[in-house]
Amino acid sequence: MASNGNDGDIKSSFSFSDFPEDVQICILSFLDQSELGTFASTSKRFLSLCRHDQRLWFSMCDRRWGRSKTLINKWGNGKISYKLLYKTLLEYENLIGFWRRCGTSAGTAVQPSSPLVFFEWGPFYITGSRVSPSKTRTYEVIKLPFLWISLTSKGESINYLDPEGKLELSENLVDSGELSVLDNDLIPVNVSFMGKCHVVLEESVISIGNSLNSSSSPNGRFIKVHSSGNVRGKEYEDVSGSPGSLPDRLMSEIYQHFANRTSPGGNGSSRRQRRKEKEKQGRRKLEPEHFVKIVNCSPTPARPLQGLWKGIGDDMSLEFYLTSYDDIGGIACRRIEDSSRPFNGYNPVFWTSSTTLIEPPFSAEEEYEYHSRVHLRPPAEADDCHDHLQRSDHGAVSRMLHMTSSYDLVIPGTTINPRQVEGRIWQYRNGTYGFGFLRNNYVIDLKHIAQDGHLLDTMEFSND
Amino acid sequence: MIVLNSSDGATFEVEESVAVQSQTIKHMIEDNCADTSIPLPNVNGVTLARVLEYIKKHAEAKDDEEGLKSFDAEFVKVDQASLFEIILAANYLDIKGLLDLTCQTVADQIKDLTVEEVRAIFNIMNDFTPEEEAKLRNDHAWAFE
Repeated sequence: MASNGNDGDIKSSFSFSDFPEDVQICILSFLDQSELGTFASTSKRFLSLCRHDQRLWFSMCDRRWGRSKTLINKWGNGKISYKLLYKTLLEYENLIGFWRRCGTSAGTAVQPSSPLVFFEWGPFYITGSRVSPSKTRTYEVIKLPFLWISLTSKGESINYLDPEGKLELSENLVDSGELSVLDNDLIPVNVSFMGKCHVVLEESVISIGNSLNSSSSPNGRFIKVHSSGNVRGKEYEDVSGSPGSLPDRLMSEIYQHFANRTSPGGNGSSRRQRRKEKEKQGRRKLEPEHFVKIVNCSPTPARPLQGLWKGIGDDMSLEFYLTSYDDIGGIACRRIEDSSRPFNGYNPVFWTSSTTLIEPPFSAEEEYEYHSRVHLRPPAEADDCHDHLQRSDHGAVSRMLHMTSSYDLVIPGTTINPRQVEGRIWQYRNGTYGFGFLRNNYVIDLKHIAQDGHLLDTMEFSND
Repeated sequence: MIVLNSSDGATFEVEESVAVQSQTIKHMIEDNCADTSIPLPNVNGVTLARVLEYIKKHAEAKDDEEGLKSFDAEFVKVDQASLFEIILAANYLDIKGLLDLTCQTVADQIKDLTVEEVRAIFNIMNDFTPEEEAKLRNDHAWAFE
């Protein structure tokens, strides 16, 4: 029951409305959408505040994604509805991190297709970059941005595939709709979320009004991005009733004209639009690309070996490894490679059936096993370093683990010499680890691919 | 040292380097309004004492993240009326960290409440008709479409 404070008890008669509005907004900005719903239901005034106040929704966005991640006031050229932005970023934030492309894909001639993709925040967009090991025989990785995900000031999704990695987005460019006119290499795409761990990129339906001489566009033609750019909503905003119309008078008048010709109810225009779309299906340049999220890409205290790592392998080139803890108490490590190789880019490296790391002191045999090995290093580094330096940059071995099996040599039907398949994992004091097999005498040391949401050791990749 | 006067006549001394955590006080000092003492007619003695406790702690233990975290957690364990007074003071004195801390505390309270409970705690008059209220209850999401 609402108390009115007149009944003389010690309860405060202070009302939320007694707070200055800035303070009200500050308090409410700490809530999420559904909690705000509770508050909005208290009175008409607060319903209106919660539904419409741009400052409130801006603060909510800013608290959640502003400052260190992205610049809230730059999205949609600063003119967007912040409530809409909140809902959108809530969906988009799930993209951030590492994903793996499913299936094979033809890379461009210059950039070999890498299955590893990294999404990160930009100032007013999200970028997806293909990540691949450099061929420079160092720990450097190549990061090639290929996907740009942003919003117009109306809140429409605007996503571009940029296969050559050439685009530089500015806020104005996103809004003007001139992006696609500028560069024919850009492909408008839809980004569809199938649950939290699966994303599909598809080329957007493009309408080309070639026969229309519109003076509004410099080339005499205009290309539109389908306004329901994401599967989550279909917006029917235009007066003519045709889905996803251009905000262009001429276009909608034409549709009106055809609509009236075919039937009074305007069904003709949508039938015609659908037929046009079917025609366009055949003209798509791009196969849909599917991405699956790589969950658990970082180690945790309970799972110190887990995550995405990079290391110099026995062919002295940099490779990516994914180590994961499975449901039956073991750990498996796989290489992530270009999918044109066998096993579809997911090559097994080792597995172990126990996750319990062994603490020092180690037996003399184990000490010898470790210290007699060579750490595989980038050739440039190996020349400079003295032996003792090689071991000290990741710290002493803090714990170790017996590796039950490597995948390479398990040939069904033959008897296995344990020494052929067994190996060791050595965890280092700095949190990284290395591994080696008993059948050889070196250690593959793994390093972090990313830290605090940023890729490490990226190098510029120039196409020319 | 800066001298601060609360609304009810209490006097407090605090070092300038600490006091300037309040942007309001900082501007007053810069504008030379602080010769003898600074009057703060919007803050009573009890509340001002608490606010000073906060800014003193945050000045002296600036780099001790863990320590400040536990201090802050204890600091907001006060009754509702006092908390609201501190919020108003933090807003008037423009101390961002304190304002964020106290506002978040209030928000955390809201998180666990039902609509009726929120109305009760914050003395909000329900001006919906029963029909309107029923509709709100039914389609909560509608309010945010």
